[in-house]
Amino acid sequence: MRSNDHSSARSKRTGAVFSLAVFLLPSGALAQSSPGGRGPSTGDGTSGVAQGSSGTSANGASAATPSPGPDTNELNDRFEPKAKAGTVANGTNAGPTPGTAEPTKADDKKDAKKDEPSGKFEFGSYGRVRAVSDLRGGTGRGANIVSFGPRTDEESYAEIELRREDTWKDGIKTRIVTTLALLPPFFHFSGKMTQAIALRNLYAQGTIDRYTLWVGSRMYRGDDIYLLNWWPLDNQNTVGGGVGIKFDKERGDTMLALHAGMQRLDDPFQTQSVAAVAPYGFGSTQVIKVDRPRTIETAKLIHFFRNSPDKTLFPGNDAMGFKAVVYGEAHQLAAGVQRDPLTDRDRALPADTGFLAGVQLGYWTGVRDGFVHVFAKHARGIAAYDPLAVPTTFANDRTTSGASDTIIATGGNLETEAVGVQWGAYLRFFRDASEGATSREKYDEGAVVVRPNIFISDHFGVAVEGSYQQRRYALADADGESKLTTGLFRAGVIPYFSPAGRGSFKRPQLRILYMATARDKGARSLYPKEDVFSQRSVEHFFGLGAEWWFNSSSYP
Amino acid sequence: MMRFSSLFTLSKFGASRAFRPLAMGMLALGLGSFTPSCVSLPEDGTTVTLGTHVDDWRDEVIYQVLVDRFANGDVNNDYLVRPGALARYQGGDWKGLEDHLDYIKELGVTTLWISPVIRNVETDADVDAYHGYWAQDLTQPNPHFGDIVSLRSLVKRAHSQNLKVVLDIVTNHMGQVFFYDMNLNGKADIYIGGTGTSSQVTRVSEFDPDWNPIGVQAETSLGLAGRAPIVFFQDPTIQRIAPVPGILARAEGYHGFGRILNYDVPEQTMLGDFPGGLKDVATELPEVRATMVDAYTRWAELVDLDGFRIDTVKHVEHEFWKVFTEGVRTRLARQGKEKFLMFGEAFDGNDQLLGSFTQKGELDSVFYFSQHYQVFRDIFMYAHDAAAQRGTDQIEKLWAARATNWSAEPQDQGIGVAPNKIPVNFMDNHDVARFLFAALGDVAALRNALTLLLTEEGLPCIYYGTELDFSGGNDPANREVVWNTGFPTTGDTFRHVAKILGVRKASLALRRGNTSVLWSSPHVADEEDAGIIAYERSGGDAEDSYALVVLNTNGKKSSSTSSGESVMKTGKASATLVDVLDPNRASYKTNADGTLKVSVEAQSGKLLLLESEASELGF
Repeated sequence: MRSNDHSSARSKRTGAVFSLAVFLLPSGALAQSSPGGRGPSTGDGTSGVAQGSSGTSANGASAATPSPGPDTNELNDRFEPKAKAGTVANGTNAGPTPGTAEPTKADDKKDAKKDEPSGKFEFGSYGRVRAVSDLRGGTGRGANIVSFGPRTDEESYAEIELRREDTWKDGIKTRIVTTLALLPPFFHFSGKMTQAIALRNLYAQGTIDRYTLWVGSRMYRGDDIYLLNWWPLDNQNTVGGGVGIKFDKERGDTMLALHAGMQRLDDPFQTQSVAAVAPYGFGSTQVIKVDRPRTIETAKLIHFFRNSPDKTLFPGNDAMGFKAVVYGEAHQLAAGVQRDPLTDRDRALPADTGFLAGVQLGYWTGVRDGFVHVFAKHARGIAAYDPLAVPTTFANDRTTSGASDTIIATGGNLETEAVGVQWGAYLRFFRDASEGATSREKYDEGAVVVRPNIFISDHFGVAVEGSYQQRRYALADADGESKLTTGLFRAGVIPYFSPAGRGSFKRPQLRILYMATARDKGARSLYPKEDVFSQRSVEHFFGLGAEWWFNSSSYP
Repeated sequence: MMRFSSLFTLSKFGASRAFRPLAMGMLALGLGSFTPSCVSLPEDGTTVTLGTHVDDWRDEVIYQVLVDRFANGDVNNDYLVRPGALARYQGGDWKGLEDHLDYIKELGVTTLWISPVIRNVETDADVDAYHGYWAQDLTQPNPHFGDIVSLRSLVKRAHSQNLKVVLDIVTNHMGQVFFYDMNLNGKADIYIGGTGTSSQVTRVSEFDPDWNPIGVQAETSLGLAGRAPIVFFQDPTIQRIAPVPGILARAEGYHGFGRILNYDVPEQTMLGDFPGGLKDVATELPEVRATMVDAYTRWAELVDLDGFRIDTVKHVEHEFWKVFTEGVRTRLARQGKEKFLMFGEAFDGNDQLLGSFTQKGELDSVFYFSQHYQVFRDIFMYAHDAAAQRGTDQIEKLWAARATNWSAEPQDQGIGVAPNKIPVNFMDNHDVARFLFAALGDVAALRNALTLLLTEEGLPCIYYGTELDFSGGNDPANREVVWNTGFPTTGDTFRHVAKILGVRKASLALRRGNTSVLWSSPHVADEEDAGIIAYERSGGDAEDSYALVVLNTNGKKSSSTSSGESVMKTGKASATLVDVLDPNRASYKTNADGTLKVSVEAQSGKLLLLESEASELGF
């Protein structure tokens, strides 16, 4: 069969990294099931539009990478760090291989030595760089107006991961992960020898029997929609810890992941220090006035439907399968007293709470990197706001009670040896807690993006992409005559060089990129009149780009 | 609920029209026909149908609201709010006002006068534009108070409760939007000039330079250098940028003579900048006039307003008012809005000057500032000080003068009432110390003055907080926050106002009747009739309705409507009158010749209706 031939070819191509890819599959948190990493909130801030929402910081925070589909990392890495036939080149997952793969010789050697402590250092990376023009003499500029617009005009971003992995007596495994993120502008662009660096991962993890424990600062998330650079269901960035439990030891068809963490953003909403007279001597000293981290508890239950030695759900295709995810979050924010910097008066900050509930259905075709995901979630209260942002609007009691965020989304990829198509789409209904009927933080929005691919040869291809996005606010437009509705349409072409072979998710990928964006009157009205974006209805985005990921626990 | 296809509309793209089918296809592919609940504007905030909401403005009672101070309905527009610092924003907004219309209704008033709604320069010299009089953009709402939707919602909700809305506007000046570059260095300076020996030491502010009859001059060490260039600020952080719209962003739109130093000099009053650096607009220019007509009429159209309260009218030439009022009335009448009230503020005690703005082709009315001084200050506020108090004959003289000082003809396309029949009566407002401050906390004097205010001929205007016994001194102490009080409706002053307004609402005489002063007195001491003022409201458009008001403004003793052999003579012979302010409903019978002697306690009053009418009206 053609697909088998392809799998074989992939195995050969990945030979050099295969042993790493096996063991270095995602770091193993249950929720960290798909590649990708959310960057700091400066990422996409250039548009100055879609970032305005306190409920939407994910857009600006995203450093997204592909989501090749089936959420198999929970199994392969955390609970069963063995090679699977579905693991493809450059570490992306093509899907689960539900227990049918025969042990390899390498596995035999491992088994023989499994009681001997061993370890190694690893290096991995995700990154993307671009050099783009607006064809008017300026640099290409992001134009998205929704929280999660197509990623084609996103900023450069890179992560460097340093990792120590050990196997101890009794098969106990540990992993120490450090991930640094680099944010633009880079030296060769700005001429400044300073660099913004963020620490995206710093945690330790251990696995014993059916249990995996981790503690540290960590990106912790599920499947993404690659074209939208977004994790629609779960995407935590906390300092905390978690535990994963595989109910059936060997296969892990049903798993539960629990996590608790906290954030205390550098914002007077959550942390503030004020000067006070020093108790001894002269002068003043700083006192922490506000200290109210947001604490978040998450729970994620996953069940896979796939062939096993005991049952055959999909005759003739062991690589096909489904998964169902049920996910929930609880958020708490303690009360506090803030010193208003404007008046130097103290004012109360009330306690706040929130919850989120969501589901995901995943289907992987078993053919190349084919998959389909559908997500739905609903959040209320403080949980409606991304934890990397603080709310900017409130109910009159200054809580977020009444705020809600409702999302349905889908993403996927289908491909053959010759062609492929990726897509992403979502609808979102965000309502802040403000008691006014109108607010810039009450809106409906959505986006749909489709990217057909033609794999011209083993190493060259061309993608075309079309997308539409719209946000409608509970505001009147500038004329006061109707609702403020903003929309833009984007289309373009992306010829690329893919050294790793055919496939929508093969990386590295070196690209030429051209996108044209048509922006309607509403979209233009979001910008001050001094901004050319308030005047131009068509934007160009032309240049070069590259994207890679390898050997990263975030982007396997 | 709305179907998805209408939720995500492919709006006007121009060049992208060709892509619409593809975009629609993608939407259908990705999102199907999902039917979500979707963002919508409240019905009150969308469509506006202009209409005439007033029958006769004499039936109305105005309640003046400083929006920033009344109620905070949405904390999310509390930008740069400094609670307790009354020279700064406090957080009130249109939604808060809308949320408390029931309170206003219970008071019995019928019309809201709301402070200016347009976008202002945020702050200047550490004072904020919470009051709204520092205009920068005449086309946009001040976001501190809400948006166009919340303003529409307020007006629509008010109309649904039979409340009218009058908007405060300013045509005389804009905010602190430019400086005079007097030393030609390109930036705004405040500097000391002169040597102190060969010349006088002077302080010069390029923000607000003194009046110069030849225009503000540039001056170097070598002497005068001609008119100082007008340079618009460019400080978007505080909205201190060139004004909008049109000619208001150009130097030619302003007079450029500097700050008024002497209000008694007509040239300065008309052409000088308003103190505080508020730049005087060249209202004689046709383009400026057209801009003002268009900008402010648009607000009436956008939110279905019922009138304008117009600021600083005495600083603008009469010809402007003729053009402005005609432009507004004509444009609104074409759209079905009639009886659009336009009344002005001329901060002056000269009754003739006030009346001049009501002459043919100008305003429907003006604030009765002469009464503020000659009646509420000289008589009611000074009730505790016999040496300062003036006799009530001053009231009779002032009212009589109005008949000739003010126009006796309704304006064409105006409200249909002659200006001298509808002065806008007030005891205090946001520009003067509150009554209770000036009256040293004399609440009896306040309630007595309110009785006059609400029963005299004209259109009463109550400054917010009066009903709550607010007693702030001069600006900004007289601009207190209401929401800290909890909006109580049980206070004695609140109930006093509500009671009188209940009678006024029922009594045609109190709303539309002519006035006949039956008794006034020059006496303020121990005389029999010291402090008495008595007037009938009847005739005119009052049909058979009749009311008699007798007030004693004396702060120390009972007085009566008599002096020796002379007794007050009413227009009703052998009639029984009932005091509807008296819980016991005391009645009085006039003699066959119509005379009636009524004794009134110090600083109190009687509101007498015919017994039959009172019974019919339920009092």
